[in-house]
Amino acid sequence: MINAVEVKNITKRFPGVTANDRINLEIKRGEIHAIVGENGAGKSTLMKILSGLYQPDEGEIYIFGKKAVISSPVKAIEMKIGMVHQHFMLIPRFTVLENIILGSEIRAGISIDNKKAKKIVEDLCSMYNFSINLDSRVENISIGQAQRVEILKVLFRGADILVLDEPTAVLAPQEVKELFLNLRRLKQEGKTIVFISHKLDEVLDIADRITVLRRGRVVGSAVPGEITKEQLARMMVGKPVLIDLKKRETDPGEVLLSVKNLRVKDPGGKSVLNGISFEVKGGEIFGIAGIEGNGQKELAEAIIGLVNIDSGSIKIRNIDIKGLSVNQIRKMKVAYIPEDRHKNGLVLPMKVWENEIMGFQRDDKFYKKPLLKLKSAQDFTRSKIREYSISVSSINQAVEDLSGGNQQKVILARELSENPDVIIASQPTRGLDIGATEFVHEQLLKKRDEGKAILLISADLEEVLALSDRVGVMYNGSIIAEFKPGEITLEDVGIYMLGGPEKKVSGE
Amino acid sequence: MHLAELLASSFRMAIPILLTALGAVYSERSGVVNIGLEGMMIVGSFWGALGSYFYGPYVGFLVAMLAGIVLAIIHAIASVTFKVDQIVSGVALNILAYGSSRFMSQAIFKMATTTPHVAGLVKINIPGADSVPYLKPLLTGISPIIIITILLVPISEFIINRTVFGLRLRAVGENPLAADTLGVNVFRMKYAGVLISGMLAGLAGAYLAMEHTGMYVEGMTQGKGYIALAAMIFGNWTPSGALMASLLFGFAESLSFRVVENSFIPYQFIKMIPYMLTLIVLAGFVRKSTPPAADGVPYERNAG
Amino acid sequence: MNNRFKIILLRLLSPIFAIFLAALISSLVIVFIHQNPLKVFVTMFSFSFRRIDSIAIILYNATPLIFSGLAVSVGFRMNLFNIGVEGQYLMGAFLAALVGFSIKGLPAFIHLPLTILSAIVAGALWSFLPIYLKVKKGVHEVISTIMLNYISFSVIHYFIADLLMDKSQKMLNGLGSPLVRMPKLMPTALMPRMREFLNMFGFNIPKHVYLNWFFPLGILLAIGIYYMLMRTPFGFELRAVGHNPDAARTSGIKPEKVYFMGFILSGAIAGLVGLSDLLGYFGYMDLDFPRNYGFNGIAVALMGQNSPIGIILSAILFGFLNRGAEGVQTFLNVPMDTVIILQALMIISIVIITKVMNDYIKRMEKREVSKNASGRTAGVQL
Repeated sequence: MINAVEVKNITKRFPGVTANDRINLEIKRGEIHAIVGENGAGKSTLMKILSGLYQPDEGEIYIFGKKAVISSPVKAIEMKIGMVHQHFMLIPRFTVLENIILGSEIRAGISIDNKKAKKIVEDLCSMYNFSINLDSRVENISIGQAQRVEILKVLFRGADILVLDEPTAVLAPQEVKELFLNLRRLKQEGKTIVFISHKLDEVLDIADRITVLRRGRVVGSAVPGEITKEQLARMMVGKPVLIDLKKRETDPGEVLLSVKNLRVKDPGGKSVLNGISFEVKGGEIFGIAGIEGNGQKELAEAIIGLVNIDSGSIKIRNIDIKGLSVNQIRKMKVAYIPEDRHKNGLVLPMKVWENEIMGFQRDDKFYKKPLLKLKSAQDFTRSKIREYSISVSSINQAVEDLSGGNQQKVILARELSENPDVIIASQPTRGLDIGATEFVHEQLLKKRDEGKAILLISADLEEVLALSDRVGVMYNGSIIAEFKPGEITLEDVGIYMLGGPEKKVSGE
Repeated sequence: MHLAELLASSFRMAIPILLTALGAVYSERSGVVNIGLEGMMIVGSFWGALGSYFYGPYVGFLVAMLAGIVLAIIHAIASVTFKVDQIVSGVALNILAYGSSRFMSQAIFKMATTTPHVAGLVKINIPGADSVPYLKPLLTGISPIIIITILLVPISEFIINRTVFGLRLRAVGENPLAADTLGVNVFRMKYAGVLISGMLAGLAGAYLAMEHTGMYVEGMTQGKGYIALAAMIFGNWTPSGALMASLLFGFAESLSFRVVENSFIPYQFIKMIPYMLTLIVLAGFVRKSTPPAADGVPYERNAG
Repeated sequence: MNNRFKIILLRLLSPIFAIFLAALISSLVIVFIHQNPLKVFVTMFSFSFRRIDSIAIILYNATPLIFSGLAVSVGFRMNLFNIGVEGQYLMGAFLAALVGFSIKGLPAFIHLPLTILSAIVAGALWSFLPIYLKVKKGVHEVISTIMLNYISFSVIHYFIADLLMDKSQKMLNGLGSPLVRMPKLMPTALMPRMREFLNMFGFNIPKHVYLNWFFPLGILLAIGIYYMLMRTPFGFELRAVGHNPDAARTSGIKPEKVYFMGFILSGAIAGLVGLSDLLGYFGYMDLDFPRNYGFNGIAVALMGQNSPIGIILSAILFGFLNRGAEGVQTFLNVPMDTVIILQALMIISIVIITKVMNDYIKRMEKREVSKNASGRTAGVQL
């Protein structure tokens, strides 16, 4: 039996990095093949090569036994390879149907034959048990449904090989289950599935075979059932991972951050926070779990003063912050690590030292009328670079030229420099490699041990459970459950993430 | 003053704005902001007059559209291929259009600011219009360009909403990366959008010179390219919306001409009406309209 | 470090490439009218640098462009496009002319600064509406400032031709019609020329050269703007907002406030653009008051890459082009409008070349960074 995909000695270099180093891979027809590796192991590069976005520098690819040059995404589709991207490639203002047919429209003269197209897509849906309304606009459907649209897109183009890049990253556990049902059904119909992930439980659940990448190389392969999760993790990381962080017992002190019945509306007038209440004490990490888009971002932004409060209150050390500016709130010793560091955390084209003092440029430390104290600012930056071991070639380097981990360190150094009492950390390790992630975790725990109040918002459930003293689950703008890690099972957390029955688990 | 006359005049004033606004719809739906429309109108008016002067009105219109397209190609090369700031490129084109028209006018007609009188197209009279006293101004002396322009509204609606070309054009303006991965040629679509806008703006300029004034006069576009952009925004990036908005602007302009004839208000203030109206309309409506998601953002393939 | 040097070299070279590219393309236009481009360019140079007075004229030509280039660049630094410099400087010149002729009996050391101040105020006021509409209503500043340009033309036309027209003009022999202009400014409001000052150093500047103290003032302002941008908290905030308003807001800066103050600053500088002509040359305002400095300022700012020194140099370049074009028109009968074409082509070539070079530099810097941190960067997500 010929292989669906065979990759021989693929090498792809980027300036200074070999992203894929002589990769060999065989994917059998009709199997679900998982490719695992930590962030930056080269999975995405390999997938972009398979889907025609990148060209390999060396090596060969065979598709169904024939040598293939995949020079563009269109070529990939012609070879029956369909890519389901991690970040959905959808057009929110288009309907589901328009999104599916775009680029492969069925014509009637110069216009589009919508009827015929609809018929074909409906047949696909019933064949693979997909339920979705083809006429709704993509901006109005759920994430799980959007993913189905992505899969339908490639099926509509007749793909036999489906490549899914981190498909579960944005899904709740129950949605993952549904996805897996769909995938198994696709396999039954003879499709080949390449499943890229770094979530080992899922991989062990769905895959027929597993290939492990590390630092751009294939370091091994395995079959589920013949390997334990720990063995797989060791293969992936190259050293034993510390799943359990060592947490010192602390006595939570006074309440530093309290949120009561907080309601916030988005600019369109839609309610995004529906009466949230919680407290964070000094020496405590309060974690917020939940699927992204359930109000976490607005919660963080309300506390730092970026969005207006509709009703309810936010108190820092018992002082109501309603109506205060971001600057005023920050001066109350509140630090904020935003979820999107490129959009909110840094001014990428500006220099490292300029980013390091951003927000403090009018403090006496850095400002003596009428000029900035250049030397103080630069000395400050140099000391932070040493303290946080930030790897830069010069403090005058543009911050956009730093790696993601170093950029996050620049933010951490800045935000923690004024010894804040309240720290809001939103997705603080997103996109970081293991080393940088560990560093961020250590810093947050250190601040907790020093008696600070930390609000940790993360879509990474494992991270929330590992770091937090208490956890709240957010769904649809409310905290629908609160508990201590270890009190309930992962499955139960999943139920809450999908809006399960409202009840307080914690015995407070 | 007769109402029918005012209406007829509004209509005629609306045509160049509408043509250019329709062009702007194509360009912006593909994600390219085209501030250079003013310049494309300018070259359209000059080259239209030039073509008509030497070879008659039909050639004039063709040459005008070609001139608009040439400028549009420069805009597309700069902003689509080289991804430079679309507004900077557009402003440069407006300066280029102004300077080159002066230069050519000086070189060919020995006058920097006007051309001699040129012929327009044969006007159409609706048969029997003479017997309808009130509607006569509306039904006689109609330039064929007016009819073409009006027809272009439903045609554009169809093209943008119902055809493969339109779907892809819109896709490129909303999410070029998504379109690219599905095999849509992003650059070709953007070029198409920009070139169509150049062609229509050139035609609009030629209409001004040949059908409206009978000659080219420097500065005759008077910011209509920018007003057309405002009309397109007011019309929420749709052809039929652009029609409504253009009629409003055409009305304002014809009103300003009428008032000049007998009024206490200094005519300089009357002349401001279209520009004031543009400001008011934008101030009142721009928040309520939704541009294409990737409008004005150059597409770089490896940005992600 | 070798790369650092290469990067600086490339940055310096890009305007020169742009000039050559634009000259090359405009050669085609010159060929079109059956002239020899080489001869045209040679004439431009020989005419411009023939004598010291010609150089002084170039500096005089450059003076308004320094101000307008600075005004546009302050906008660019915030990522706003102040295309309304045109209207702002006309309003500035108008109010200065009004203050200059209507207030009588002041000593020069009060009257002249007051006149200059009124130009600044008028420019600032005229930039208020567009930035208000931008911040509060989301109206793009390009469209609103263009509309305000047209409105300012009308307003000024009304004041010059109707309300404030100088009716006291004496007709030569009672013949002809009076000029459409406002009354002449008081001598106390006029800016002295640099002629006498320069003569002290042995530069013999003839009387017909109008180079005045606005030129050194422009250079001082450029230096001031540089310090403001690079060394003050406000300049810091302005640049941060220009690059990334979201991040600036998250750090506690209020972008709306910065937009407001920065844009009004841009308008205030724009108010000064017309003063070298008004207070140093004409002494009155008429319907033919020089136009297009605002648009030329865009070219100057782009060629100067928003750096104050670059702006001074490119303003002088355009001053030279205008001077040269006069010569070309006089001696070769090539229309002066060649310069406008050249300018437009320069804008397009400079932005394209800068873009290409910056992409190249970025790649080079990335390579350098990854070299410095090799090993650790194996895990960079690409």
